[in-house]
Amino acid sequence: MTRDLLTGSALAVAGIVMISVAVTFPSIPVMAYGPGLFPKIVAGGLILSGIGIVAEAWTGRAGAGDAAPMRPLPVLALAAIIAGFALAMDPLGFHIAAILALIATVRLFGGGWITALVFAPVATALLHLVFYNVLRVPLPWGLLLPVAW
Amino acid sequence: MEFGAILAAVFDLRIVTTIVLCTLYGSFVGAMPGLTATMAVALLVPFTYFMDPVQAVAAIVATTTTAIFAGDISGALLRMPGTPASAAYVEDSYALARKGKARTTLFISLLSASVGGVIGVVLLATATPLLARLASSFSSDEAFWLATLGLSCAVFVGGASVPRNFASLFIGLAIATVGIDVAVGHPRYTFGVNELYDGVSFIPAMIGLFAVSELLANAQVRKGVSLGRIEIEPIGTALRNAFAAIRQAWTGVLRAGIGGTFIGALPGAGADIAAWIAYAVSRRFSRTPEKFGTGHTEGIVEGGTANNAAVAGAWTPALVFGIPGDSVTAIAIGVLLMKGLTPGPDIFEADALLVKTLFGAFLLANVIMLFTGGLAVAVATWILRVPSAVLMPGVLILSLIGAYSIDGSVVAIWIVLALGLLGLAMTQARIPIAPAVLGVVLGQVVEDNFMVSMMKAQGDLTGFFSRTPAAVLGALTLVVWGLLLWRSWRELVRGYRAPVEEGR
Repeated sequence: MTRDLLTGSALAVAGIVMISVAVTFPSIPVMAYGPGLFPKIVAGGLILSGIGIVAEAWTGRAGAGDAAPMRPLPVLALAAIIAGFALAMDPLGFHIAAILALIATVRLFGGGWITALVFAPVATALLHLVFYNVLRVPLPWGLLLPVAW
Repeated sequence: MEFGAILAAVFDLRIVTTIVLCTLYGSFVGAMPGLTATMAVALLVPFTYFMDPVQAVAAIVATTTTAIFAGDISGALLRMPGTPASAAYVEDSYALARKGKARTTLFISLLSASVGGVIGVVLLATATPLLARLASSFSSDEAFWLATLGLSCAVFVGGASVPRNFASLFIGLAIATVGIDVAVGHPRYTFGVNELYDGVSFIPAMIGLFAVSELLANAQVRKGVSLGRIEIEPIGTALRNAFAAIRQAWTGVLRAGIGGTFIGALPGAGADIAAWIAYAVSRRFSRTPEKFGTGHTEGIVEGGTANNAAVAGAWTPALVFGIPGDSVTAIAIGVLLMKGLTPGPDIFEADALLVKTLFGAFLLANVIMLFTGGLAVAVATWILRVPSAVLMPGVLILSLIGAYSIDGSVVAIWIVLALGLLGLAMTQARIPIAPAVLGVVLGQVVEDNFMVSMMKAQGDLTGFFSRTPAAVLGALTLVVWGLLLWRSWRELVRGYRAPVEEGR
């Protein structure tokens, strides 16, 4: 119930923000419809569906109860690992960033230190082989640029 | 089109190797609880980037077909459906496995999957050229209505209540509005990030919605998979039993194969919904409905046939109209567009060999699956012992590098993260993801054609009905909207009853 209220209002707020940005888009003088028309329709849909979800919750007709409660900590930890990887990719290079991200993720999913320290470099080497050597993706070398091959 | 050319194209060594590798890959990913068929395809996409179109489509098709089958492996052995499409009959297959018939139930799944797939391809290959001829005279008016009809269908058959399906669709459309607009080239919602001018790039978006959102959800439950002790029968006995079960239920196989193909062809309804409906239908027509859920084979046969038939069926609207029938074909359309091929009626004229080869590859994948899938059944208990502490990090790094290699920019990783969190939030709010994916894919199509038609008709909305095919499609869309209004009213009065309980 509370979660549905939250969902509904989040959708409505997203719709209102979208419209308030869309009104700033330039309009074409001779036509009544410009770049803002479609976003406004979509935003209207978001608001309507938000109202619908709240109405569902209000009348107690939403069907099955809320999904299992979230455990925010591991979710945030994994999100932080991904963000860290994105930030580290260019300055540190793909190899260092991948090894660090892999060690952290193995630990997060309950693996031991030995698993983490063995798996991370092996997996990174495999990725290097597949993406850099076979598929020829220009992965950034970062700090390792002097030893790049 | 001469038959020899098609055969040569299908039995090209690269195509066959691709199919063999992808069926092995599909078996593995499908069998792992928490890794879905759509996720398998999302992770495959960065590799298809480096393939030619036929090879890419063959890879996607082979992966999906086997992944949908392999979802039954963890369903039978762990009572955890490996993909949502296996959820319908998991009670039956698990009960059979507990009775020491794990391999029997898995071979039943494999055989029915292969038969279902073949039925689906045959229907697909018969129907699409006819539909394409019908669609070849379509203009922007019809294209607009078709896309709108596809999106409305997605709302109608999506796996939740009307407002939730609706919310999902509009979330997808909202993502699609990011980037430079078609009318005057004004950047919308790009927040000054140059990489967003072309829109939210599609593959990172799919990887985020399907792979990373699942990983984020999996991060919360850290429970080891325990197989327990299972008695496993010899392969020969299992195969004989499985053949017998299929032969006994052959009318059901036909019914489920044809029904599954049609359900798969509806935009928004995929393999999971096809399996649920086929299971329910099978129970209704069965002489022993009371046995369902206790380790009965009939439901497994029909559910297993229907979900693989649906995989093929989903390609019908995708190929003919460019409207995806499910999340996987949505990704496939994105891949084809990347390769400069626009799915639609023209592709049947311009790339007839491609289309025919696609059907051939589809057929071949369903045959090769019998062998690679059989191998997976034989080593099933080993596959399930791969610890998630290694599997999940592997999936994560593949997701991130895959997204990066498509765009060559770190922005792709941020998109993956943002949409992963969005996907998780949606699941938590019980908003389905499939309609959103259709929104992302079709958003620009709808807007482009809407704008072109608006300009042609000079803002007069009746212009959308001026051509006969457009009027028919428009009327159909309005009917679907009417049905939607009626259904949401009924939900509000009587309450929403999920047709698919805890399926996802």
